Amino acid sequence: MRRKTKRLLLNWRIILLILFLAGSIATLAVKPLTFGIDISGGVALVAQTEHPVDSDTMQLVVDSLQKRLNTLGLRDITVEAQGDQIVLIKVANVSTAEQANQIKAVIESQGVFYMEFNGVIFGTGSDVEYVGIYQIKPDNSWSVPFRISKSAAEKFAELAKGKVGWPVDMFLDPPVNSLMVVPDSVYRLMNSTEFNAEAPEAPTLMERISKAFNITVVAYANQSADEIAGLAEGKDKIVLVDVPQELQSGLEGMNLTVRYVPRNPGESDHQLIVRVLGLYGPYSLGEGLTIGEPQQDVQITGTAPDRLTAEQEASTIYTVLKSGSLPVKLNVVGMEFISPRLGENFKTQALYAGIAALIAVLLIVYFHYRNWKIAIPVASTSFFEVLIILGFAALINWNLDLPSIAGIIAAIGTGVDQQIVITDELLSGERSTKISRRSSVIKRMGRAFFVIFASAATTIAAMSFLLVYFVGTLKGFAFTTILGVLIGILITRPAYAEIAKYLLGED
Amino acid sequence: MSKPKTKARPTAGDAVRAKKRKKLGFLAKMGYKKMITYPLAVFLVALILLAVNFPTLGIDLQGGVVVTAYGVSANPDELAKFISDQLGVDVRVESFTGVDTNGVRVYAPVGTDPTEIIKIMQQKYPDAEYTHSEVQPTFGEIAQQQGIRALVFAFLAMAVVVFLFFRNIVPSMTIIFSALSDMTIAVALMGLFGIELTTATIAALLMLIGYTVDSNILLTTKLLKRKEDSIDEAYLNAVSTGFTMSTTTLGALLILWLISTSQTIDNIAIVLIFGLLADFMNTWLLNAGVLKWYLSNSARGGSE
Repeated sequence: MRRKTKRLLLNWRIILLILFLAGSIATLAVKPLTFGIDISGGVALVAQTEHPVDSDTMQLVVDSLQKRLNTLGLRDITVEAQGDQIVLIKVANVSTAEQANQIKAVIESQGVFYMEFNGVIFGTGSDVEYVGIYQIKPDNSWSVPFRISKSAAEKFAELAKGKVGWPVDMFLDPPVNSLMVVPDSVYRLMNSTEFNAEAPEAPTLMERISKAFNITVVAYANQSADEIAGLAEGKDKIVLVDVPQELQSGLEGMNLTVRYVPRNPGESDHQLIVRVLGLYGPYSLGEGLTIGEPQQDVQITGTAPDRLTAEQEASTIYTVLKSGSLPVKLNVVGMEFISPRLGENFKTQALYAGIAALIAVLLIVYFHYRNWKIAIPVASTSFFEVLIILGFAALINWNLDLPSIAGIIAAIGTGVDQQIVITDELLSGERSTKISRRSSVIKRMGRAFFVIFASAATTIAAMSFLLVYFVGTLKGFAFTTILGVLIGILITRPAYAEIAKYLLGED
Repeated sequence: MSKPKTKARPTAGDAVRAKKRKKLGFLAKMGYKKMITYPLAVFLVALILLAVNFPTLGIDLQGGVVVTAYGVSANPDELAKFISDQLGVDVRVESFTGVDTNGVRVYAPVGTDPTEIIKIMQQKYPDAEYTHSEVQPTFGEIAQQQGIRALVFAFLAMAVVVFLFFRNIVPSMTIIFSALSDMTIAVALMGLFGIELTTATIAALLMLIGYTVDSNILLTTKLLKRKEDSIDEAYLNAVSTGFTMSTTTLGALLILWLISTSQTIDNIAIVLIFGLLADFMNTWLLNAGVLKWYLSNSARGGSE
């Protein structure tokens, strides 16, 4: 008996199990588990880019979002790109619903920023390297200093040479590649020198946006929806500004993307144009920038009728410069907020549920075999398996979220099933062939492991697609399931087989 | 448990197993035609159920707003009316109970501001704990497509692996059909019991692919590879193991379902329970019936 015990303990499968268990417990002691937002509390947001982007652009989006949220003073932020259109943002330690909504607003207000001169885009948000604190002088003039990248500065110096007083425009989310249908008065204003700062000889705003953004502006003169659709051929969308709203449904019926912008009460043509285009400026080009020398440190200045307006104007442009560093527009398409207190509840619940499920397994297995020598090893092997999965999760900083926990449950479920397969194979041979026991034990184990490998292979094959290709929350589920199955077939199942053989096979 | 105090008495276990076999003996006596017909009939019924009553899509798949309040016990209809009146938008309210908390979920259409709903509810329940989530229809659509793709790919991958392991058309196809039927019946039951199709329940359906194939593989292996026993003997052996497997898993899932108040975990548990119940029938009647019929027709008694 003692010799057999020694042989069991020296078996490499048992040693492997013990090593992994010790490793997991040590890991868990040093590096506590981290939990997902849905357990620890916080807000998870799913944002979608306006159109699919390449991986470089996606990386820019991720970086700038991270930076922007950090400047808000938020901690524990993860920003993760999934596929070519989805960005997952998780912020922990958010305690109220209002705070959660604020974060959402911040992400959505982050627009695509362009700097344009003479119909040429010389910089975007990513060219803004630094924004200084704005200043307001006693005469209600204001200034916002900022630094642009070297390449943008060089491009600008070349464009602006000798063009004192010409208009510099900045845009936040202009309707790129679109057809704008506007009332006649608006059309005439855009085509005038109204937006030319101090240079009547510069191209009009309409010419500039046409060249820079491929925005075509037409005056509304009772055209039918069909006629407008004809004009919009090749454009991404149609922007209807203060024209009869019936046109919208007509155009949408033709499967076109339409944005309808009504005039606000009391809004002037000028204000309407500025709002529709997301225009900041135009700012008049100061003499110092027109000598052809690239300058990275620049500032925007303006004057306002009173201090409050000056403050507003300066802070708006400050915010736009600071936040406008996304290469593509983002929309928040999904959001989930879990209060931290509730998350705490989920955590204890998951723990209780897990323990209760293990006890249930223990009792049911006992009920089936009426033998603690089977029930206890089966339940404890499952418990070891959970420990090893958790240890591994802690080691690689995997955030345990509810789907991950579901995955662990799945792994445990299949684990118990497979242990029962092993047990029954061992037991069923007991009566029949006493003489050739050794060979038959090996044969039966072979058969049990054929079943185990086949079912493990199907699970892994099915889940690996999820892990590699899919976005959203199912990744955690796939990860823990696969991990659990692998740990099962490589470590715990072989060890259980040895223990079961020891306890049942040979008395 | 290194040193058992009492000497093992395998006879006790034997008696239990013998009893179990006797109880399950009726399965072995059933003719394979019946064994095949019943599950097929259930499969058809499930298909019809699906056609008339497909489970509704959860908000994460079709878009919408849901506010959950914990620590609230309320009449759902009254509360829905109260919120709808103040908000000016129709909402649906559902109540739930757990072991240590109960609460309500308020469902509102896309575009509703969840903080507004919370404000309204706070008038009545200032101490409740609130969480909310909202999903735009565009993302719901992406999630839907991905969910369907995930299911299809996972299923195909499973089918390929099963073929590779058995390299035998009839048994492989039967396993694959069983898994399909398990999922179909589980989804039909979801519709019947008003459980929504969400990313979580899709995860559960994916889990079913892994779970249900287990017992089918066990059965097929025992019947095709175990030549020292008669078919009936091998079948009974497999059934008794399978019965233990299923009840153990079902027990654990039931506990999980009872204890958790997380909708995600609850829904996963219940869908798995549906699937495992369906699988019990599909494995031990349908799959076994087909195999018996196949083995009795093939002189060689299975390949390999």
